Amino acid sequence: MADPYQILGVSREAKSDEIRNAFRALAKKNHPDLHPGDKAAEARFKDIASAYAIIGDETKRALFDSGKIDASGADVHQAPPHGSYRQHAEAEPDFKYDRQWRGGAGGINEDLFAELFGRQSRTNSRGANINYSFAVPFIEAIIGAKKRVVMGDGKALDIAIPAGLKDGQILRLRGQGQPGFGGTDAGDALVEIHVDPHPVLRREGNDIYSTVPVTLGEALGGAKVPVETVSGMVNLAVPKRSNSGTKLRLRGRGVPSKSGAGDHVVTLEIVLPTSPDDEFIQSVVQWEAKHPYNPRKVSGA
Amino acid sequence: MIGESELVALIEPLDAEALQRWIDLGWVLPHQDDEDLHFDSADVARVRLICELHYELRIEEDSMTVVLSLMDQLYAARRALGALTSAVAAQPEGVRKDIAAAVDQRRH
Repeated sequence: MADPYQILGVSREAKSDEIRNAFRALAKKNHPDLHPGDKAAEARFKDIASAYAIIGDETKRALFDSGKIDASGADVHQAPPHGSYRQHAEAEPDFKYDRQWRGGAGGINEDLFAELFGRQSRTNSRGANINYSFAVPFIEAIIGAKKRVVMGDGKALDIAIPAGLKDGQILRLRGQGQPGFGGTDAGDALVEIHVDPHPVLRREGNDIYSTVPVTLGEALGGAKVPVETVSGMVNLAVPKRSNSGTKLRLRGRGVPSKSGAGDHVVTLEIVLPTSPDDEFIQSVVQWEAKHPYNPRKVSGA
Repeated sequence: MIGESELVALIEPLDAEALQRWIDLGWVLPHQDDEDLHFDSADVARVRLICELHYELRIEEDSMTVVLSLMDQLYAARRALGALTSAVAAQPEGVRKDIAAAVDQRRH
């Protein structure tokens, strides 16, 4: 078997990502499922995959470089067989993946036979799917909603937004695509849902984050402050001696999910009065003169 | 036929979220009864192929849609051609020769 470095067209000193890139480029050009019937491409792909199985793996590469295994050393440990999809795609007479795409890939060939034999296209193909996309408000994506939406093509769809929906999620509405031919099923509507951002709330996984402004007095003396959550306003208890950056957790006020709802994490932000008067300024400055502290000094540093 | 969790366990880089996304995009068409999904051997081979194209060859979602669409058309065309070829092969020798001559004429 030929030298794996030669097969991938890389030098013996090539870095591992160089080898990976070379493999990807060659594999894309020769993948047997993408070149059905091309024996030469299939043979090339086998060589490329075997070469990469050795020098794409740091351990095996070291063994090969030191002469401990030869170029066929990796054949025994071949990854799952490449090119097995082709056997199915070529063998099954009425393959379901023909009709996946708008108009249906099978349609092309039906036209061919219709022309050849002067008969109507076989009219048994399921209607094509239609892709839609629309945006929902942040809160609706969290708590769920039912809505009727009229799409750009005039089609009205009743859409149930599931609670906890993620940005970019696709909802499949069965039978809402193109009608089928000759009494067969209609295709589906595939609706990609985008979630509008919220001015205050932010989502990470199943938790919600927000920042809530408080006064100096509320932070130091403790207070109840109203906070916007996905399920409406909630009174948040700010404990005494809180600070800017203090994080408070509202358990179960996050995104609902099967494994229990997430939390809502509130970060406090102390906001000084917009136009503090001399009394306020003097009292703070005098206090600090007596009790100096350095907030920029990291404790223990 | 195997179920969703078996499929995820069978194919190493695959996780349930990616599989769901591919089903939603119409890349994979499992059989569905009630809530359960069933994957036949063609579905399994197709998922394996998509894994290879995505995780090894780094073909991203937008490009994958084009790749799979062209691939499906290619296989549909090859099967149509296969049906035509075997129909021709079943004809009497004289007919086969006429067809072969007519095809050659158009190809050269």
